[in-house]
Amino acid sequence: MDGPDEVVHQPVRLRVMAALTACDPSDEGLDFTHLKKLTGATDGNLGAHLDHLARAGYVEVSKAFVCRRPRTTVKASAQGRAAFARHVAFLKAIIEGA
Amino acid sequence: MTIRSDEAAAMLADVDSVVAKVKQSRIYRSAALIIILWGVVNLVRDALIALAPAWVGPRWFVIDALGVIGTIAILSRTAVAGARLPLRTLAAFLLFYAFGWIWANLLGGFGPREQMAFWPTLFLFGYALAGLWFGTAFSAIGLGLTALILAGYVWSGAAFPLWLALVAGGGFILCGLWMRRA
Repeated sequence: MDGPDEVVHQPVRLRVMAALTACDPSDEGLDFTHLKKLTGATDGNLGAHLDHLARAGYVEVSKAFVCRRPRTTVKASAQGRAAFARHVAFLKAIIEGA
Repeated sequence: MTIRSDEAAAMLADVDSVVAKVKQSRIYRSAALIIILWGVVNLVRDALIALAPAWVGPRWFVIDALGVIGTIAILSRTAVAGARLPLRTLAAFLLFYAFGWIWANLLGGFGPREQMAFWPTLFLFGYALAGLWFGTAFSAIGLGLTALILAGYVWSGAAFPLWLALVAGGGFILCGLWMRRA
């Protein structure tokens, strides 16, 4: 059994990855405000966790202006999807092995 | 790092909860577009019936047909890439329409005022039912707008078509915008 993924394991990042991987890979991803609502994190906290995930190559962050307002969109990368799937499998294995 | 079984279960429950919220949000966003579209359709149709009844005549059917075409276009566009058109949703829509047509035209003996109240409340009943599976926003919209339409049917007198334009048109648009943010 693989060990836990240290990047995904943190609760806010786990929620972020759960939300992003629930979207179809062909979708544009989720915007920052929606992610904030889903994770219950503050702006600064979520931003820091997204930076962490982006540095690991698990998410792709894109910024654009929509109707003159900045919009940050986040999408799970293929690497991130695989890491999240492995981490979920790891958690399930713990429960099954208990 | 050691993770206990109960901690792992709590994390997986957290994951499931977030995934369910994302799925519901996708349903809401897709449905919101359709609700806004039908708000515009209802607004145009009922305003024309109220303000230019002689000109509209049976042309209201064309306005509704545009709404159906728009609905199919939205369902096709918002479906996950590679997925087929949601035939079950379309079948449910057709069954509701068939039920309504039988009662409105064959069995019900409805007058024009009853027809105008019947069609939107029939489909709003569908929304109220859908809410039992897809989220309470659907039920809130279905029951809330039905109550407003029935109130107009009873109390608005000759202004009923305008009342419908306001409630089934403007009300749908506002509800759709609210649903996009839910």
